[in-house]
Amino acid sequence: MAQPLTKTEPDGTLYRRPAAVEAQVDEAVQLKLPELRRRLLVVDRDDATFLRSECLVHLLRRGRRAGDQALMSAVLPVLLSRCEANLLVTVPDGRMPDAASLRQDILDELTELIVLDGSGPNPDELDFYECRFNRAFRALRIDGVRRAARRSKEIVDVAALPPSEAKGEPDAYEDAFARVSDAFKVFPTQEWDVFREPFLKAIEALPADERDAVILVHVLGYKEESEDPDEETAATRCNCTGRTIRNRLTRAAGKLARFKEDL
Amino acid sequence: MSQTLNASPHSLREAFYALSVAQDIPDAKLLDDVVRRYPEFGEELTEFAIALAVDALRGERVTEAAEAALDPSVVSPAVSRAISHFQNRLHAVTVGVHAAETKPATAASADAPNPFAALPRQEFRALAERLNANAVFVGKLRDRQIDPRTMTPGFQRRIAEELKAPLEVMVAHFAASQSAPARQFFKAESKPSAGGQQTFEEAVRSCGLTEVQQQALLEL
Repeated sequence: MAQPLTKTEPDGTLYRRPAAVEAQVDEAVQLKLPELRRRLLVVDRDDATFLRSECLVHLLRRGRRAGDQALMSAVLPVLLSRCEANLLVTVPDGRMPDAASLRQDILDELTELIVLDGSGPNPDELDFYECRFNRAFRALRIDGVRRAARRSKEIVDVAALPPSEAKGEPDAYEDAFARVSDAFKVFPTQEWDVFREPFLKAIEALPADERDAVILVHVLGYKEESEDPDEETAATRCNCTGRTIRNRLTRAAGKLARFKEDL
Repeated sequence: MSQTLNASPHSLREAFYALSVAQDIPDAKLLDDVVRRYPEFGEELTEFAIALAVDALRGERVTEAAEAALDPSVVSPAVSRAISHFQNRLHAVTVGVHAAETKPATAASADAPNPFAALPRQEFRALAERLNANAVFVGKLRDRQIDPRTMTPGFQRRIAEELKAPLEVMVAHFAASQSAPARQFFKAESKPSAGGQQTFEEAVRSCGLTEVQQQALLEL
């Protein structure tokens, strides 16, 4: 039986693993080490014997609590290898000044969570990882990238976009951002796969203030501004005026206009 | 968007998890909800929500494909280093717990856990680089050669963040008395003893750092 999680939602209810994770954990904790090792070799997610990362975290915590070195030694390399594969895609060489060190830091930070599990000011931090591993790990990763960027205070590999023919024109503005919003709705499709990389690069290449305005308005769904002083808007989130937000959107639209037909 | 320097890293990370775990792509309602729960991190959370949305553009297929292509029987150098880090830290934490359990409450302050102790050489150097300092300076921190009363709170927080150690552990480490190097053999006829402490500024000035590096450390 899986040990219940202790972290609570804002309304006080306990975090719970998804049912599929819960069922797999119940099964995995019964496995003898040789069988567990065999299961850890399965990498095909569609294979019924594939062990989810959430389950691996549970096993590691179990091993950590019991001081079971054999269990930890079997599971940790597999989990870390998955994380490294993720990082090689999400923090590739060239994105940051020292991407390899940053990837290492993030891996080390994950191991630190396992070492400190059950102690310190956040003893149940790994509960997040037992519920939604990929989403929890992306939080760790993005936080790591954010801190590294703050340290280095420089952005590299900002792709230069070709000049737009539609800079600042209202129609181009509407078209480009309709495509941005659509992109976030349709991105799991194969059609999107073709445009993923150039579109991502274009978004990342926008100046930070323009990118923030685009994402806040056209992805998160904030209004540019509001007459209601209590309403949060893109302007309040960026501590600027609605007019500034519109100016940033207009400039960004020009740079993204080349995607208006493609997406 | 600036970082809230006085914020607890743990609270901030908790807020990041709340934002990241709830949905694949955050929306205005979710961000507003999380900011209401963590109002001190409004700017950081906004920045983080934007980063999540941009990250979502990448899609999970790419990372899933990378994971599926793994050879589970091969352990990469990076994973080996992370495992080594894990084992070192686990050992340090376990020894620390045992020491705390076996030492009387009046034990010398030099027994405070040394967060630098488990750092492999490579990571020791990496820490020096991240601090824009050098190994000599970090060695002084490790060996408690700097009077903690002359360190700024900002500097201590920065070290805690870099070492991923709770601030209170770092404060206890710096405040603990110096101990002689715990090596078995010495070239001198007698066992070396702990020397006096330098002020933070003296330590910064005497490590061979450039003027720019010195200034950056002194301004933390």
